[in-house]
Amino acid sequence: MEEAAELESSLELSYSSVGGLPPARSRIFKIIVIGDSNVGKTCLTYRFCAGRFPERTEATIGVDFRERAVTIDGERIKIQLWDTAGQERFRKSMVQHYYRNVHAVVFVYDMTNMASFHSLPSWIEECKQHLVGSDIPRILVGNKCDLRSAIQVPTDLAQKFADTRSMPLFETSAKNPNDNDHVEAIFMTLAHKLKSHKPLMLSQPPDSDKIHLKPELKPAMTCWC
Amino acid sequence: MSLRRPPPAVIAPHDSDSKKKRKVEDIYQALNSDPSDVSALRRMAISEGGLLTNEIRCKVWPKLLNVKTDDLPPPPGKELREDSEDYQQVLLDVRRSLRRFPPGMPDEQREGLQEELIDIILQVLQRNPQLHYYQGYHDIVVTFLLVVGERLATALVEKLSTHHLRDFMDPTMDNTKHILNYLMPIIDQVNPELHDFMQSAEVGTIFALSWLITWFGHVLSDFRHVVRLYDFFLACHPLMPIYFAAVIVLYREQEVLDCECDMASVHHLLSQIPQDLPYETLISRAGDLFVQFPPSELARAAAQQRAERTAASTFKDFELASAQQRPDAVLRQRFRERLRGEERTKSILTKPRTNRFVKLAVMGLTVALGAAALAVVKSALEWAPKFELQIFP
Repeated sequence: MEEAAELESSLELSYSSVGGLPPARSRIFKIIVIGDSNVGKTCLTYRFCAGRFPERTEATIGVDFRERAVTIDGERIKIQLWDTAGQERFRKSMVQHYYRNVHAVVFVYDMTNMASFHSLPSWIEECKQHLVGSDIPRILVGNKCDLRSAIQVPTDLAQKFADTRSMPLFETSAKNPNDNDHVEAIFMTLAHKLKSHKPLMLSQPPDSDKIHLKPELKPAMTCWC
Repeated sequence: MSLRRPPPAVIAPHDSDSKKKRKVEDIYQALNSDPSDVSALRRMAISEGGLLTNEIRCKVWPKLLNVKTDDLPPPPGKELREDSEDYQQVLLDVRRSLRRFPPGMPDEQREGLQEELIDIILQVLQRNPQLHYYQGYHDIVVTFLLVVGERLATALVEKLSTHHLRDFMDPTMDNTKHILNYLMPIIDQVNPELHDFMQSAEVGTIFALSWLITWFGHVLSDFRHVVRLYDFFLACHPLMPIYFAAVIVLYREQEVLDCECDMASVHHLLSQIPQDLPYETLISRAGDLFVQFPPSELARAAAQQRAERTAASTFKDFELASAQQRPDAVLRQRFRERLRGEERTKSILTKPRTNRFVKLAVMGLTVALGAAALAVVKSALEWAPKFELQIFP
């Protein structure tokens, strides 16, 4: 039960960690996180928003929401992560509402579960249907890379797939504390990309001259195009 | 098993103690009459405190569901898990559902119960191939397991799954979505301002999805609250959980209106359910709303809700637009005026104020509700022909 309270407080945590509420007109980046059941969507979003791995998570029913305020190049930005249920029946009729106005999509698979990797094409296809004609950034995240002996999805296979879909690939672990910075870097990279990409929702003009891709990101990453 | 011996009286001070004691006696009297007085049991499951103890629940829940306790399904065979295509998903969900078990329960015991939980779910699915597993179903089943034990839970859950939960277990969630569409019309009847605010925020109804399909088992951490609600829902119309969801939103009116009017803020606020809700009051209100605005009257509004949703979803830049500028707002307004006009002529109870609910005498309400729970069975048929009627004997 404590854990529940912890999970639920991630929003407040994120605010307090940057000191007070963000200014009223801060831009919002809305990112939807999708993938099979149990690949770690909740843990990844929690890791980014609360800064640590939740001890217990339950199946997400419907859509959960986490948020964190960050500062990028002096601008306050709210990053909203929409964490979705993995079971197929939910995504078919429930989740579409939450595809609306998203600025980026994060596809997650479990590196220790080949089936979750094989599901990616159908997730990608479905995403396409909801975001017709949209060229929003999409990234691919392989989670649970800390379980080295159980890896079923080799990096080169995932990289090949990512290349054919023109998506950057990240392999990470929401659980491994050493990877904390890494999860952070993935979402921050995405946020930088979004910031430089185009004006989003509110009035401020984008800083189109600044594209911050972190070159030190490991182990795998391709271009954004 | 003898039903004639009442359990030891609950030790609590004064008034509430004697009230409770009297209720326990009433319940046993209704149980022991031949045949059992199910209407009385239903009323007592709804009225203040519900069925009071798990010992009583073991006896009354089967009556409410019309399940014969001497004719339970046989224990599952060994092949159960191998044959099931849902096994992997069920396993994942049950393994992660640690919070549903009493804190402090030894791991070994909990793990044993988790195995039983898996078996119950798979057995019900196996015996009813028309039913489809959904994430959250395990949150309902675990409640029955913890209260009545594996064998009886299997029978109760099977009945529940082919009746109250039937729509959630379709191949798709379209019917679940349809039931969620009742939420906003109920809110609109009571508090149009709140309704309009939520519509402007485009919050949708998914924040209430887990409430509905788990009967709040997924979101309430105190097990006593969960079983109290189950008493209520088992005694009522299958749509009662959506009325209860509406009542929670209405109860949090001020918090919602204080929110920024956008999907994320309102969704976040509402999906975090407060753990200290005044359950008895809210149960009364939900029952009252059900009587005032039965599903048959809301069916049209719910259908309209669906149409609006589709229309609204084609409108892209909602974050930039104010409510007045949105093309569908006009339609919505016109529709609501029409509906309200009809309602007003029909009942002086339209748009009741909150404090009026609190003043309602619990007994008066529950009598009305007991009648309502029976009376509206017909209307259930209108919107979902699948609900069979033997559940309301």
